Amino acid sequence: MTQPVTREVVLRMRGIGKSFPGVRALSGVDLTVHAGEVAALLGENGAGKSTLMNVLAGVHGDYDGVIEVGGDEAAIHSPKDAARHGIAMIHQELNLVPDLSIADNIFLGREPRTRWGTRDRSAAHARTAELLAGLGLRLSPRRLVRSCRIAEQQLIEVAKALSNNVRILVMDEPTSALADAEVQRLFEVIRDLTGRGVAVIYISHRLEELEEIADSVTVLRDGAYIGRRDMAGTTRAELIQMMVGRPLGDLFPRESGEHGGGDVRLRVEGLSLRAEAGRTALHDVDLTVRAGEIVGLAGLMGAGRTEVLETLYGAHRPSAGRIELDGRPYRPRSPRYAIRRGLALVAEDRKAQSLVLGNTVAFNASLAALGRYTRLFVDRRRERAAVAGQVRDLRVKTPGLNATVRNLSGGNQQKVVLAKCLLTEPALLLMDEPTRGIDVGAKAEIHALMSRLAANGTALLVVSSELPELIAMCDRILVLCEGRLTGEFHRDPAHGPPANQEDILAAAMARQAVLDQETADA
Amino acid sequence: MPDQTATEEETVAAETGGSPPRLRTRMRRLLPVLGSLQGYIGLILVIVLGLATKGEVFWNQTNLTNAVGAFASRGILAVGVTLVILTGGIDLSVGSILGIGSMVSAMMLVHHNMTPWEIVPICMLVGAFFGLCNGVGTTWLRIQSFVMTLAMLSVVRGLDRQYSNNVSVGTQVVNDQGHLTPHSAQFQDLGTPGHNVLTGVLGQGVYYPVLALVVVCVVFQLILSKTRFGRHVYAVGGNATAARLSGVNVTAVTITVFVLSGLLAGFAGPIDAAYSASADPLAGTSYELDAIAAAVIGGTSLAGGRGTIVGTFVGALILTLLDNVLGLNAVSDNWQLVIKGLIVVAAVVLQRPGFFAAALTPVRRLIGSSPREGDEK
Repeated sequence: MTQPVTREVVLRMRGIGKSFPGVRALSGVDLTVHAGEVAALLGENGAGKSTLMNVLAGVHGDYDGVIEVGGDEAAIHSPKDAARHGIAMIHQELNLVPDLSIADNIFLGREPRTRWGTRDRSAAHARTAELLAGLGLRLSPRRLVRSCRIAEQQLIEVAKALSNNVRILVMDEPTSALADAEVQRLFEVIRDLTGRGVAVIYISHRLEELEEIADSVTVLRDGAYIGRRDMAGTTRAELIQMMVGRPLGDLFPRESGEHGGGDVRLRVEGLSLRAEAGRTALHDVDLTVRAGEIVGLAGLMGAGRTEVLETLYGAHRPSAGRIELDGRPYRPRSPRYAIRRGLALVAEDRKAQSLVLGNTVAFNASLAALGRYTRLFVDRRRERAAVAGQVRDLRVKTPGLNATVRNLSGGNQQKVVLAKCLLTEPALLLMDEPTRGIDVGAKAEIHALMSRLAANGTALLVVSSELPELIAMCDRILVLCEGRLTGEFHRDPAHGPPANQEDILAAAMARQAVLDQETADA
Repeated sequence: MPDQTATEEETVAAETGGSPPRLRTRMRRLLPVLGSLQGYIGLILVIVLGLATKGEVFWNQTNLTNAVGAFASRGILAVGVTLVILTGGIDLSVGSILGIGSMVSAMMLVHHNMTPWEIVPICMLVGAFFGLCNGVGTTWLRIQSFVMTLAMLSVVRGLDRQYSNNVSVGTQVVNDQGHLTPHSAQFQDLGTPGHNVLTGVLGQGVYYPVLALVVVCVVFQLILSKTRFGRHVYAVGGNATAARLSGVNVTAVTITVFVLSGLLAGFAGPIDAAYSASADPLAGTSYELDAIAAAVIGGTSLAGGRGTIVGTFVGALILTLLDNVLGLNAVSDNWQLVIKGLIVVAAVVLQRPGFFAAALTPVRRLIGSSPREGDEK
């Protein structure tokens, strides 16, 4: 890492303030970014990071304070102003048109023209191919964005920004949907960009990533500026303390694994699933989960982790395999049947798969367990008492049970999803990325909850892309690659190979071994 | 956020406490059922307009019952359509189903001399059958509901016209003495102005279409807000994936709402026939648009997941009284159509979330509900 202090300042935001009706979202926030620097922006959900970046990108036209780009004051009041100053933002939810080609997306709204005034496709394709090659992407410019993986789409967004002569690139949680190997590739691209003098403002919750990529870090809390540090020489503990304003105990509170070996709750043999649009095939997956055990599923994006959970939950029909629940045969038919057999799923995408965002906390939390409170009519008093109990236990921060879920923060939305699952009193809880995109405090609470559930005899099968989280929380970790199991690691070295990041990653990338096996099968 | 925590504890205490809920809590629970404030404002405006222009002529029982009676069959369609819209679908076939219902009822009466007690259930079954076809088409065949019910609109209208030979059938069957036959007289009770039912129980009795509309609204509002099926309807419309993963049988819910919508349209058929004293092969044409308009004016979101039957009832009432007021003032049918269209547009714009938040805040404060805005994003 170079010394950013000696470099030219490309962006200075001073005393930025922004109000929404009834809320002061930002007040007096400063941000300084140097050319060729990766400046991290850190803060819990709702701290004001996205608002600050939306001010910079011209999304919020009216704000207080001054923005200087390259030393001159810049009036940024619309996305067009921002583009003129060389500012581009890659949102967490990508802004690509799925049914257009990569080239069409990159040049959307400013398509190169031939002298007849028609679109010059060959120029667009040539320029796109050049941009993609520069980012190490081997994709045809004609390919539809829909058929690209998330990591590829992210890089397409980067290419789009580059084609616009970007000087300041904002990336909002670019790695939240990426697996570790893809993160490394993104980092190479970021280093390459900074080498060319582009400044990158990087928003992420993952401290270990910031340690790897960031030069400086600016911390926000509750819309206020807390401080700026050079990344070198700053400890994780110090950053967390700045973010939460209080010292935080161990992030992963699970006590070292004495799950004592309860009865086998779930036994899966030879589970297979056919590939379909956007779905990875599964081949002969065997696994067991005991009561009181937390088992992790590791792997890259598209390794089939989500498919294992969703197939067990009855969302897909397996093509082969025998499953037993508590020794009794179980055939996944539908999520409805799975719930009746004591399964619950915390789905990967809470907004798209888990919540009715426009409805209330009570409606969402009781949805799966409604039968318990219903004869002819829903017994509203019992229902609300049950929900209120969960809201209290999980410490959901909400103005009330009638609050609209859309208005809650990410962490609290996730707690509502957990409340919904827990009200069905599951014997086997399937969790898909339970802590993705939520703030540090809520994350720790969810980890504590998982430990508590395991201690009470619930079996947990957990997918996570954060290896440290899996290693800290799980009694056992199974690794998937291309729909096959490629490794098993244990917390207790007495039972088998111990879990560590290097070995797990190696198993997750054991593509060669998988291919060899496929040849052997054939 | 010390404030929020305090509110939360208060709310939680209020929900779990053993003592009977206070008036404020009760009113707060009622609030979402009542539909949007905008609807009531619109209703009051229409009534004020009627009183200002026609006064006594407008505000007397005969005029009002006739006005509502004329619209009752479309109001009943609107209830069914609201159910479908709440799941995120649309039902364009209800007008045609009402038409075939009215034709079937007239045929049963004239050719088979059946009683209304036999006729009405048969019409409901016929409607439910076409609703089932809609439901199967949208779920198993995965046809968009707009397309499926548009096709059904055409199919059912065609069957209706073929069945009737394009000739309308009068429902006033006369015997040798020149009197209505007993069954025909009973049938006229279903809708002819001046024929009231429940006389004795309710003094002068009530005009049957009005009674039918009110009962249908009450029953379906109860189903929506009190039963598990009702919750599932909102869940499917709000987020079908989340509903499925929460154990909701999305296919069954979708088929059921289409069957109910068809059933209600079939039920409205005989009422419409009795009101016109004949079944026309074109009866019910474009009624689906009035029904959808009533739902939309009542605050039902075409995106699904938001809306109430009470809201739809208010929406239907607005359209009814507006028709009546404009009619009394001799505004031509052509201009009535233009005005109705503009009102639908105005209703949708006025009911954007947040549009009336400022106007609502004092009301909320009055009944002690906490504002929903101002949370962390």
